Amino acid sequence: MLPYPKNEIPRASLPARIIGIGNAGVQLADRLVMNSPGLAEIVAMNSDAQSLASAVAPRKSNLGPRTTRGLGAGGDPEVGYEAAQESLEEIRFSVEASSTVILLVGLGGGTGSGAAPVVAEAAKEAGAFVLALVTTPFSFEGRRRAAQAAEAEAALQRHAHAVIRFENDRMADLSSPREGISETFHASDRLLTECVASFLEMLNGEGPMPVTLGNLLSVMREGSPSALFGRGEGQGDNRAHEAVERALKSPLLDRGRMLDDANAVVVHVGGPPSLSFSETAAIMRETSKHVPDDAHLFLSVSVTKSASSPVTVTVFGNHQGGAPTPSAQSVKTARPAPEPKAAAEFVKATKKDPPSAPAPEQKEDSARPTPPGRLFADEPPAPVAAPAPTKKTAPAKVRQETLQFEPAARGRFEKSEPTIVEGEDLDVPTFLRARPKH
Amino acid sequence: MARHDILVGVEVGTSKVCAVVAESGRDMELRILGVGMAPSRGVRKGEIVDLSIATECVHDALSEAESNSDVGIEDVSVAVTGSHIASFNSRGAVVIPSERLEIDEEDLNEVAIKAREVNIPTENTFLHSIIQHYYVDGQEGVINPVGLVGRRLEADFHIIHGVKTRLQNSLRCIEENGMQIDQVVTNALASSHAVLNDHQRELGAVVIDMGGGVSDFIVFADGVVKQSGVLAVGGDHVSNDISLGLRIPLTRAEKLKVDEGSALIGKSVPGEMISLKNDAGFSGKEIEREMLNTIMHARILEIFNLIHKQVSAETPSHKLGAGVYLTGGCSLMKGIREVAESIFEMPVHLARDAGVSGPKSILNNPQYSTAIGVVRFVQARMAEEEEPTLLGSILGRIGGIFSRR
Repeated sequence: MLPYPKNEIPRASLPARIIGIGNAGVQLADRLVMNSPGLAEIVAMNSDAQSLASAVAPRKSNLGPRTTRGLGAGGDPEVGYEAAQESLEEIRFSVEASSTVILLVGLGGGTGSGAAPVVAEAAKEAGAFVLALVTTPFSFEGRRRAAQAAEAEAALQRHAHAVIRFENDRMADLSSPREGISETFHASDRLLTECVASFLEMLNGEGPMPVTLGNLLSVMREGSPSALFGRGEGQGDNRAHEAVERALKSPLLDRGRMLDDANAVVVHVGGPPSLSFSETAAIMRETSKHVPDDAHLFLSVSVTKSASSPVTVTVFGNHQGGAPTPSAQSVKTARPAPEPKAAAEFVKATKKDPPSAPAPEQKEDSARPTPPGRLFADEPPAPVAAPAPTKKTAPAKVRQETLQFEPAARGRFEKSEPTIVEGEDLDVPTFLRARPKH
Repeated sequence: MARHDILVGVEVGTSKVCAVVAESGRDMELRILGVGMAPSRGVRKGEIVDLSIATECVHDALSEAESNSDVGIEDVSVAVTGSHIASFNSRGAVVIPSERLEIDEEDLNEVAIKAREVNIPTENTFLHSIIQHYYVDGQEGVINPVGLVGRRLEADFHIIHGVKTRLQNSLRCIEENGMQIDQVVTNALASSHAVLNDHQRELGAVVIDMGGGVSDFIVFADGVVKQSGVLAVGGDHVSNDISLGLRIPLTRAEKLKVDEGSALIGKSVPGEMISLKNDAGFSGKEIEREMLNTIMHARILEIFNLIHKQVSAETPSHKLGAGVYLTGGCSLMKGIREVAESIFEMPVHLARDAGVSGPKSILNNPQYSTAIGVVRFVQARMAEEEEPTLLGSILGRIGGIFSRR
């Protein structure tokens, strides 16, 4: 991996910032504050003063106090856009001097759909890597919202470096039908926060094999817009194994099967200093089995300082097929806006990075579902669906195994004539009997 | 009895059925014409537990051997084993009538019968009586007493016997296929014929045939069979131990044993893990290599310890100059030689069949050694019959019981 100057691609040197925009975004941001404190600077932005007041995010921005009078955008993206324009200075202040800006947006409403593209643009102008995690409305919320969400997503595509979309229509399938509604929302929030956390870990983690933005982008840009995400943790003797298994079990990966037609996959392994090479190798072997031979496979390893932290495996890939998969999530790649300098810098950096493969602009072509001629067209690849996020990756079930303690464990010889020599039943495993005498 | 020069040996083992078709040439030359092998079912610890399935397996192996060798098989000789097979050494004595001075062959037969006049369980039958030494008027070391002058003839025999019905079951699955049983020989004796030459017998050697269900052993000292025995523990027990110890299915334990396992401990990198794959290629579990090896080591160590205890009780190690010869499928296990060496404290060889010509892949595979040994045993018997010596006539009784059934 070629090193590149830090000033060209701001990475790790500056803090990451997470901005929740709109009601859904603020809620997610709150969840992040509570789940992983100290992860990044978290900013809540909303045009609804009441929602901001109850938010726990350390920094809050009230968008368009004059436009909306603190009453919210009322589901109208135009109002949201106006509000954002009014508070542009404040937005710029929020995004400056950060390496990575992650936007959390629930599309389809007013503030999120209207203001998010403005925030993305400002962040990109400030030189940050902009990643937008968006949720699309449920289909039962009506076409109007779906159309607004699609429009907003298209706008985000132009300004953010990458957009990851969670189609929340799938959420109901992913959690058990009898589960309480708050449980369901909790689970989906967890998935989103895990996703954010793992991206930050990948980008900021210190370790022998960092993932580069180039790697990440090549995964998000190559092939079709739909992406795959899975994350698992493991602790104890079998931690590497458990972690990779849980990651692959993620409902978004369909037990690893979804990786079958991935064409680029990033595997991030995070762990305590005791993480060994053989564990990493085992994880990679396991993952690569599910990935086609010709796919790009990027490995990144980061090591935390805490010895008690679990081994985490994050698998992030994209789909080859043009049609979005039924997966709850898909990624829309960002086209570099014609002007922003950050994008230009970014392109430079990715070009330097050998594994990230050819010029990102070209990849974007293929990444777009629209024909090449419409590369810079405004309309987005019409995503439909509504808010609520998806279910958490396979819940880590820790089950206490009972120790098998039958003195006569004879296995396959259970029903055969016992072989008794010197008073010992030789059909019982030697290691279960007394230590062999010499 | 096979009068022609085509010899067929069959071993109905716990894990596989092996059939070897060989052609006997002059000067005890043996050429393998073809082999057949079929995975064995219905056999546990060397004995038949499901006759119809075992019969099918035998049929598969025999027809494969037939088509490979292009020979129609009619008579087969069979290796038998099982925990019921036991052995002891016995001395028989006859007094030569005073009107006759010379010892003749009739006396040799009689002394062999006398040697068998010992108590064996009523359900048991004699399998082999193998001559060890003759004594004429108390004089030791007589090799061939015919023609010698003496008043009293004594002889030491190594007698192997087993439960009649259980032996018959082993033969049934071959007879059901329309084959005639030529000779019956124990696994251990057959294996020794495959792996030892006269020189090694003279020096003294232990042959251990570790199969799937049983481990047979035979001890040669001073050129004769000194001891033999069957320990109903084999490679299947190792797999079973792995399966129970690591909580994995038996088939996977078996595969793990073959692919990854070693009987040596302390040789793997600490913390080295092996990941197990399930049918879908998904990894099911990860296990520590040392753990696997420890389980295997414990079992193999125990097998050798038990055999060593029996051997050393009767045969001092200085009588075993050639050392230990390991054969059978289980001898393919990694590290098994080193474990055996640590127990027996003498050279341990992984036996290969010497003095047989044929495809190298067969000769180098210890899984075939018992079946090849059966053929060698029959060949040796035939050579003795052609030129009937005293030794031959006594050995001629071996297996006679079963060839009539």
